[in-house]
Amino acid sequence: MSTPEHDHAHAPVQQTAPAGYYEIMETAVRELLIEKKLITAQEIRRQLEVLDSRNPALGAKVVARAWIDPDFRQRLLADGRKACEEVFDISFYDDTQLIILENTGKVHNLIVCTLCSCYPRPVLGLPPDWYKLKPYRARAVVDPRSVLAEFGTEIPADVEVRVHDSTAMVRYMVLPLRPRGTEDYTEEQLAALVTRDAMIGVVPVQAPRSAP
Amino acid sequence: MTATRNLVERLPNDIGGLPADAITRVEHELEPWEKRCHALADVLDFRKLINTEEKRAGVESLGSELVGKLTYYERWIVAFANLLFRKGHLIPSELALKMQEVEARLNGEKTGG
Repeated sequence: MSTPEHDHAHAPVQQTAPAGYYEIMETAVRELLIEKKLITAQEIRRQLEVLDSRNPALGAKVVARAWIDPDFRQRLLADGRKACEEVFDISFYDDTQLIILENTGKVHNLIVCTLCSCYPRPVLGLPPDWYKLKPYRARAVVDPRSVLAEFGTEIPADVEVRVHDSTAMVRYMVLPLRPRGTEDYTEEQLAALVTRDAMIGVVPVQAPRSAP
Repeated sequence: MTATRNLVERLPNDIGGLPADAITRVEHELEPWEKRCHALADVLDFRKLINTEEKRAGVESLGSELVGKLTYYERWIVAFANLLFRKGHLIPSELALKMQEVEARLNGEKTGG
């Protein structure tokens, strides 16, 4: 079923700045959908608040808990989404599943979305631009060790590197190795060490500077 | 093997495994309209108007030239408009009129201080 594209192609071309054109389109689409009662302004406002509430600090809390609580770790590895929902009250607003990939002395995990930009947004917020751009998406699946090297990460040759390609329905997050020298750390102190990039898998969690 | 075979076998989004440049660790804070565009995508999904896979395929069907030249959220909003036309939720001419109205309003606000 096709609709005439002519009006669409011609009418809005009398715009000024190119960036303004797409902002105008976004505003117009949103307002039309609200006028037609297909969506509400309140839903947009609420979702903006949800987006603002999601950032890597949330994922870091999950990781820190998994490091100190073996039962939680098991639950998390069994069903990432359920564990995050039940224990941390994190809503999976995009209705995606979450698989937690545990790094070990033998396996290092890396996440990517070769087709677009799928990412564990409920726990990490929005992805960095480089995650969405061609070099990372194209190369991570075939040459992960040199991709990692560009992030300054060298994985020993006897450690397997596993790359996980995300989909619209299934998202991944890396559970990094707990660094040495953090045995006495509190959960909050541990969480503060965990970075977004460590949960993508491009860097390890760095040991604290005072560590032996 | 013909030279165009790879164009048949790979749609624009399907870039896993292709040769590519070194990674530059670019990041930017989303502009307000980009964040609104993201919220719109989520609400369209909640309301079962456009799901994630339709959005991805909608971006892909823009074709490689648009995919290559538009920024991330520019691709999204254009894909949403096209998908909403195809599904009969919006009509191209009404979007065009609305965009004129919005532009006049936003420009008016700017000049009016």
